[in-house]
Amino acid sequence: MSATAGVAKKGAKRRVLYVSLPDQPDRICSGCETCQLMCSLEKTGAFNPKKSRVKVLPLAVGITIPITCQQCEDPACQKACPEKAIVPHPKLNLVVVDEKKCTGCLACVGACPYGIMAYDPEKKKALKCDLCEGNPACVQFCPSKVLELAGPQRSAEINRRRFAAILANEDTAARNNLAGAEQIKTLPRTLTLLAAQASKAITEGGR
Amino acid sequence: MIMARKKGSYAGKILRVDLSSGKIEKQDLDLDFAHKYIGGRGFGSRVLYNEVPPEVGPLDPENRLIFSPGALFGTAVPAASRTTATAKSPVTEMFGDGHSSGHWGSLLKSAGYDQLIIQGAAEKPVYLWIDNDRVEIRDAKHLWGKSNMETNESLLETHGSREIGTLSIGPAGEKKVRLACIFSDGIMGTFARTGIGAVMGSKNLKAVATRGTGDVGIVDIEAFKRAYQDYLQVIAVDPYVPPATKYGTCRFMYHRVKFGIHGANNWRLGDFDWKPLDPEVFRSDYQIKASACPMCPVRCRREYRISTGKYAGTVTKLEWETIARCMTCGVNDPEAVIYFSHLCNQYGLDVEGVGDTIAFAMECFEKGLISERETEGLRLAFGNSDALMEITRKIAYREGLGDLLAEGSLRAARAIGKGAEKYAMQVKGSEMSAADPRGMPVRAVSYATSTRGSDHLRSNPYVEELITPDEGLQHFGSKEAADIFQGLKGKGKLLAWSENFVTIGDLLGLCKFAYYRSATFGYLRRKGVELATRFYNACNGTRLSEEEMLQAGERAFNMEKAFNVREGAGREKDIIPERFFKEALAGGGPSNGAVVDREKFDLILDEYYGSRGWNEKTGLPKKETLKKLGLADIADDLQKRNRLG
Repeated sequence: MSATAGVAKKGAKRRVLYVSLPDQPDRICSGCETCQLMCSLEKTGAFNPKKSRVKVLPLAVGITIPITCQQCEDPACQKACPEKAIVPHPKLNLVVVDEKKCTGCLACVGACPYGIMAYDPEKKKALKCDLCEGNPACVQFCPSKVLELAGPQRSAEINRRRFAAILANEDTAARNNLAGAEQIKTLPRTLTLLAAQASKAITEGGR
Repeated sequence: MIMARKKGSYAGKILRVDLSSGKIEKQDLDLDFAHKYIGGRGFGSRVLYNEVPPEVGPLDPENRLIFSPGALFGTAVPAASRTTATAKSPVTEMFGDGHSSGHWGSLLKSAGYDQLIIQGAAEKPVYLWIDNDRVEIRDAKHLWGKSNMETNESLLETHGSREIGTLSIGPAGEKKVRLACIFSDGIMGTFARTGIGAVMGSKNLKAVATRGTGDVGIVDIEAFKRAYQDYLQVIAVDPYVPPATKYGTCRFMYHRVKFGIHGANNWRLGDFDWKPLDPEVFRSDYQIKASACPMCPVRCRREYRISTGKYAGTVTKLEWETIARCMTCGVNDPEAVIYFSHLCNQYGLDVEGVGDTIAFAMECFEKGLISERETEGLRLAFGNSDALMEITRKIAYREGLGDLLAEGSLRAARAIGKGAEKYAMQVKGSEMSAADPRGMPVRAVSYATSTRGSDHLRSNPYVEELITPDEGLQHFGSKEAADIFQGLKGKGKLLAWSENFVTIGDLLGLCKFAYYRSATFGYLRRKGVELATRFYNACNGTRLSEEEMLQAGERAFNMEKAFNVREGAGREKDIIPERFFKEALAGGGPSNGAVVDREKFDLILDEYYGSRGWNEKTGLPKKETLKKLGLADIADDLQKRNRLG
């Protein structure tokens, strides 16, 4: 399978869901979990964090991080699916679960390297983020405005700032990570910078 | 468009566990009952009235411990994260409840239950494991003696998941300390007041762990989203919100300084050397991060860390009341405040009750009513933070003098005798909270009329700071309602309205800070009545009017009043400590020299009873008032006992 197997037809716009914005460092996830319930409401018509495509993880006192689908270039979930039920989205540059084909075998849930494939225990189907047709509920309702769906130009702007911030901080680990990201097949396209910010807040206090 | 799948925000069942017999019962929730009493505090108050008569003592097995998540908990309604725990109080021996945020309540609803009623008492320590349909009473020997954090961690490990919610008591609850509380999800939230942790301890119930995977429903998704966006718009322009987001509840320092109402050194000093406790100090030097309770856009939760010094390594959450009660004990070292909060969180103690009880003991020590022999060499002086920590530990484990103070300030004062009672700053046996009421008569009355003993969260007399004279006339019948210091007319009405108003939050599970604090009366009504009602209607497909929602608040308040009246309480119990009437506030500051004018106090109380439809002389509810609220059965019960006004 080629590196672009999961990608929709040529010309589909690439969009990136950013978690925490490096150019607006005051926007930090408060751990309120509104994104989880709004996601489940949008997708299932009821409130249930178990059926959310975004998960807020409490990592330690003072650190919570929303984890979203990374919309990989070469998705592990798609490769793992024995039913070929993970198919390109007709319009957006990402893959989605075809509920009719999904048998609920959980192969994709186990395969996702970010652990973000969710599972509906009632319907017994895999749940994957499809960016809500380009207007994600999690972004609309996040009270801390930590989430943003960006088009190519906004992505470039954020990436520049992010890279500059890494250079300015001489954060070699982060730089290596960014460079190394191109070596691995499962390229993350959602950039989670929150961890770095939160740990900074912890060591320095006062945020 | 996605259609709503499950109708309404109620789970549909009530879970009852008898720890004496081990019997577990599930009843269907009657929707008429639900729409009448709404949820949370309303559910708890109704069941307590029905099931706990005056013959049952607070620590008897037949007392109930009732957990009721707010009606909107589990939905994405902003700041809907509160659960009510109701029981007859070991502190007041009257109506008691505590309210907490945390995940546990929404998980109870996801597991399928709108209420958990616990009765009886286990023979040995147990905990309750609720895993959707499966409910088990399990051995808790390995948890007994553990702190709240440890208990939570242990339960998360046992049940192999971070996606469960827990309730627990610390060592203080186990020892039936009357100042003990129940914690939610480690130290995420606290059912603090009225000694509710001692009730859980008396049942030998260490913890409740819950996993729920079901949906919480909604009827009208579009109406919900419209209300949500309107709510965000209201708080975006409400000047109350930014300081709350910036400082958390520590911000109330500026309010207390403005009026000079600290009540430091056991409610004697209006001004106090508060500068070391400036909210900016907590924010700049100790705060780890601003975080939020479930669904809250205000984000006033704070976690703090101490990096150096003798309390180095302490990480805990802290709210304004901890700072205030440390000042009551004369302590103004921010690190001592954070450490005191940490101790109370670990032991499972109510900072308000414990802080005031220690302040009482410190004054007894100052006056020579308690000597160093009784304190075992501890110099229990105001401002001695080491003594504060040590006596807190002794209270939690009921050691030495701590055993006496664990009974609360009023009981301790009666045991000490020698006139100590006048230093016990309590209402109905429950210690004071919030700020000094001297100079502001309606605040004084609000502490007295609260149904669970002294309390600043049972009403919202702060409305008088927000309204214009014209609004006072329009809503409360007099322009005087807007005059904080001199106003009399309209104050009783304002108080009754504000009690009904804040009760709405407790019924729906909405945080009061996100709904009842505001910078103007317009924002306040918009948030706390209009939007709260719209959210409830959107989630449940009901058509409650704003007036009906306020009446639901009034109904809950009247049930609690009736409970206390049935226990024998009348007007004589609606009173504040003598000190506030007789001793002028000292120490300088804007309110220096103020007392509560007894005559004004009584006049406001008269108007309050009148506007509540209770007898103005006795304070007892009238039959027609209870009937009008749909509480005819309670009216009949009180009539039989000759307790109607």
